[in-house]
Amino acid sequence: MSERSLAELARRIKLDALEMIAIRGFGYLGQALSAGEQFAVLFGSAMRHGQDRFVLSPGHYAVVYYAAAAELGLLDREALAGYGDDGALLEAISTERTPGLDLTCGSLGQGLSGAIGLALADRLSGEDRRTFAFLSDGEMEEGQVWEAAMFAAHHRMSRLTVLLDANNSQVDGPVDSITTIEPVADKWEAFGWHVIDLDGHDLDAVADGLAAADAECDRPSVLVCRTSTVHGLDCLPPDADGHFIKLPPELATAAVAELTRKLESIHA
Amino acid sequence: MHEPPYPTELKPYGKALLDLARRREDVLCLSGDLTRQCEIDLFQAELPERFIHGGMAEANMMGVAGGLARCGHIPFVHTFGVFATRRPFDQIANAIAYPNLPVRIIGFMPGVSTPGGPSHQAIDDIALMRALPNMTVIDVADAVEVRQVVEAIVDVPGPVYVRLKRGEIPVIFDEEHVLNLDRAEVLTEGTDVALFASGMMPAPALSAARVLGEHGVSVSVVNVPVIKPLDTVTVQGVAAEAKVVLTAENHSVIGGLGSAVAETIAEAGLGRPLRRIGLQDTFAEGSLSGPYLFEKYGLSTRSLIEAAWAALGRPGVAPAVPVSVVETGEYSPV
Repeated sequence: MSERSLAELARRIKLDALEMIAIRGFGYLGQALSAGEQFAVLFGSAMRHGQDRFVLSPGHYAVVYYAAAAELGLLDREALAGYGDDGALLEAISTERTPGLDLTCGSLGQGLSGAIGLALADRLSGEDRRTFAFLSDGEMEEGQVWEAAMFAAHHRMSRLTVLLDANNSQVDGPVDSITTIEPVADKWEAFGWHVIDLDGHDLDAVADGLAAADAECDRPSVLVCRTSTVHGLDCLPPDADGHFIKLPPELATAAVAELTRKLESIHA
Repeated sequence: MHEPPYPTELKPYGKALLDLARRREDVLCLSGDLTRQCEIDLFQAELPERFIHGGMAEANMMGVAGGLARCGHIPFVHTFGVFATRRPFDQIANAIAYPNLPVRIIGFMPGVSTPGGPSHQAIDDIALMRALPNMTVIDVADAVEVRQVVEAIVDVPGPVYVRLKRGEIPVIFDEEHVLNLDRAEVLTEGTDVALFASGMMPAPALSAARVLGEHGVSVSVVNVPVIKPLDTVTVQGVAAEAKVVLTAENHSVIGGLGSAVAETIAEAGLGRPLRRIGLQDTFAEGSLSGPYLFEKYGLSTRSLIEAAWAALGRPGVAPAVPVSVVETGEYSPV
């Protein structure tokens, strides 16, 4: 996929997620705004569909996955309108019946361990697969992440790549106001990982990072994607909740208009 | 059945798992830094390519096992019962039980069989695992059942928790004995007391039944190796034929076998007096040996006899337990 079309995909992912959340009037919009580019590059370009594996550790990012999957024809667009509704297939926090994911977790900090299990199975069977695990920075507060990080490095799991959405957001506020997780890159480096610290909104940087991870043959890789939960949506108030936003109808209308305008500007 | 003191075996589980793995390529062995203690040094020595060190990281180990099981492997995960259940409970719930994956969690050192103190005593493992949807929960009685349980669980569609005694394992049953995951087994038949026991407790239950029988009290001893799903048909049938019901478990009386039997007989409307032998909602402290704790916390043959005697309203002092002489390499219940 070309750079221009990846840029369009990223904006479509954000707009789709916004429209799903606008119907409910609240939801995980900040996650779509921070992770849209990562999902665009991964699903639109780096991942070999039907071969590589994808683990979504923070299940509440499901809205970003649903949008990406619908844009790429992996999921019926019709299902998006029911997002988070009673009886809907697409739950706000992904579950075992969520279509298309190799593994997902709602209880945070567990995804990397599951991803390691998948990657170990591929090593045992000798199959050529990469496993991509998407994690959020707040999950670094869970001890299990570090159990898993040590295990993966010890076993030199070079086919395992973590996309870490470092958006500095968790339920109670900015991550750095709750727990100091920095220096993030140094921590993963010290645990034996190949670390690439990058601007998570820069499509080229994400693509280059995933390529560098692919080329690494001795260590697991982590892309520390520095992002913002309000990226690319100027109409949001400065104190917008990055984790779970309330979106009254006027703000929703303004936001949809802004993202639609920005999407069309790519074609201009 | 043998009579006490029972002969014993060493490493019946480790031998059986290795035997199974030689025939089954899909079996993997995970260890939480307790390899020899869980008898899987045998597996590690012969099949190192299918042996995975999880280290002291049980949360991660459960998640890894879940991932492996999603890809068609059958991971057997080994550590002590406390670290296999209480510590990684949320990981088992989300990464194994909810997706209904064929992970086999093997927890050694059940209940107060260890003097290791409350940190090492799995007194709530059955309650925890029993509360999880999709989980099968097993507590076998002797080396014959230990040998069979490995083969019996390998193809169970969902997750299984097995708790196993460490060290010298008594041989109670004959070689012809068959462990059936669908059935509790009536070992002796009686009309006064229905005594349901699992794990390390069928041995003292049989001893108690022998003494009670000599004093005019007939006891049905039922070995219940599978606590979930419980064989409710056998439990109801045996309880209905008795005047009082006793349960005996090396575990808290909350949430384990005693609770499962209580629920079953209450739902069946049987209305039998019930006494639950087990840890009475307490942690267990202060010992050099497991047998001391069995006496101190009321898990002994004497405790079973006294409970039956009192529940039946028999007058006077309950009959005493004859002292048994146990040689090295033999096992006799406390």
